[in-house]
Amino acid sequence: MATLEQVGSAPLGRTDAARERLRVLAWIAAWWAGGRGLIVLTALAIHHFGPNGWIRLVEHAHALGPLEAWDGRWYRMVAGSGYLLVPGRQSDPAFFPLYPVLMRGLHVLGLGYSAAGLVLANVGFLGALVAFYALTKELFEESTARRATAYLAVFPFGYAFSMEYPESIVLALIALAALAALRGRWGWAAACAAGAALARPEGLFVALPLAALAWQQRRTMTPAARGVAVGAILAPLAAIGSFSFYLGQVLGNPLAWTQAERAWGRQFSPLGVVHAFEHLGAAVSHDAWVLRDVAAVAVYLVLLAAAARAGVAWPWLLAGLAVVVLPLFSGSFDSVGRFGLLAPAAFWGLAALGRDPRMHRVILGVSLPLLVGAMVTLPLRFP
Amino acid sequence: MSRGPWVTAGVAGVIAAAVLGTGFVVQRTSLPVPPPAAQTALRAATWFQRYRLVESAFRIGDGPTVHGTCLQDWFTVGGHRHRGAALRLDSGFVLLAVLPHTLQARGGTIVQSATPPLVLLELGGCPRVLARRLATLATQRRGLTQTGNTLAFTLKATHIRLTLDPRSGLPVALRVVARDAEGVGRIRFATVTTRIRHHLSRGLPVYGS
Repeated sequence: MATLEQVGSAPLGRTDAARERLRVLAWIAAWWAGGRGLIVLTALAIHHFGPNGWIRLVEHAHALGPLEAWDGRWYRMVAGSGYLLVPGRQSDPAFFPLYPVLMRGLHVLGLGYSAAGLVLANVGFLGALVAFYALTKELFEESTARRATAYLAVFPFGYAFSMEYPESIVLALIALAALAALRGRWGWAAACAAGAALARPEGLFVALPLAALAWQQRRTMTPAARGVAVGAILAPLAAIGSFSFYLGQVLGNPLAWTQAERAWGRQFSPLGVVHAFEHLGAAVSHDAWVLRDVAAVAVYLVLLAAAARAGVAWPWLLAGLAVVVLPLFSGSFDSVGRFGLLAPAAFWGLAALGRDPRMHRVILGVSLPLLVGAMVTLPLRFP
Repeated sequence: MSRGPWVTAGVAGVIAAAVLGTGFVVQRTSLPVPPPAAQTALRAATWFQRYRLVESAFRIGDGPTVHGTCLQDWFTVGGHRHRGAALRLDSGFVLLAVLPHTLQARGGTIVQSATPPLVLLELGGCPRVLARRLATLATQRRGLTQTGNTLAFTLKATHIRLTLDPRSGLPVALRVVARDAEGVGRIRFATVTTRIRHHLSRGLPVYGS
């Protein structure tokens, strides 16, 4: 992959381009290995030394047990025995199907569901870093791409990328969808956007940047190509529709996923954000770790503001805001730290702040201990 | 009028339909359907959750058949409202189980007093205790065995075989086996009325709300 500087000067030979691409891939892989290595080491430490919290059983089951905790159990249950809606109780239709479908795919190859989930999440994160780097480089310039990718690799809430959660797959698909759209490959954009929404509802918001890109390219497209682009914008919604359709067939309730989310205290209402603040005191007295997610909301909002100042396009900012702010309308701050990982604009904002070399060192210097610290809290609080 | 917008709309519709169809087929072909026992347990749990009053007729060991009424309600203990169950038998036996620590029994025969309270609550069809267990096992997809219209599961140290109506999945009878006691009985869901609540809470050391 050629750098912008190189593209502007002399054309690269095929060997040089391949060498450059390999160099960049190795650089990304090194950041991935560094960040993930830190998480694996912390997981091993938790396994041996604690703290002992809510996940005691999985935590001590085997060395990487802590990474399979919390929602990992639900994804394994869906992969192993499908969906079942239990009225009034927490049940699995709240968990979107792509990740368990992929877990089953690896299970067929001989991996257990737990191992399959961890392989998918961690290899998926390497893919996410590569796709995110390529997208960032396409939208900005190489130095921004490098900083944003490095920050993403060691972002404190990014320990969820190594857990049995679909976030890494979703981020990879969001980045690939936008990258494909930028390059005019709208069929691929549709497939990736659909995949993202089939793995997490936040995948829906990739439709915003896709719509803006389709609008920018409209004059260069034939009517049929325009149709594919519009199809790509609609694809995330259609993918969520397919999940509802499936639940309707299997459980007789197309809205089982929203119903199941209510058992986690997530019920969207126009005044939900007011309730989130109203109930914050009670939530903190029940479990003070919720303050971590409150801090996450503030951090993401600052990063999105930094991204806006740095000139990040408004559809990306809007998508980022939707990812961070919309969950508050369910009346709770829970898990926003993890949800925000699916807002690429936040990392572009961080990369803009890191343009100053001193700030760059501060970001990396703070991120690494916070990543370890956040991981240590895993037995005490869900991500 | 140009055909362009129609082509655009048509292609977009086809792409959206393809995503919808492919997504559905992928889920349908790759995700398993939950085991029938879990689905049956869920239906039974839904019946138990729907009613707060259960009338029963059961026998402990070789003893005589007794008639019981179990009410699931809120009770005030120590100034706080708690969920609980009151089981009253026609022999005069009354069992009160209120979360978190209230368990009182009085009256009845020696056999009834000697029978573990959990066995009595189960034979009396007390809905919440059975609904919670069934829902938990259904959620976890384990610990349930279905044979025809019978669902077998355990609750603490008791083994329960719940007989269900074949068409509606309505629980109609149960058999409970514990280490020191065994019983069989039939249950019938009923609607709570003010009169029944007064009757059941009469003489109880705590008060229904």
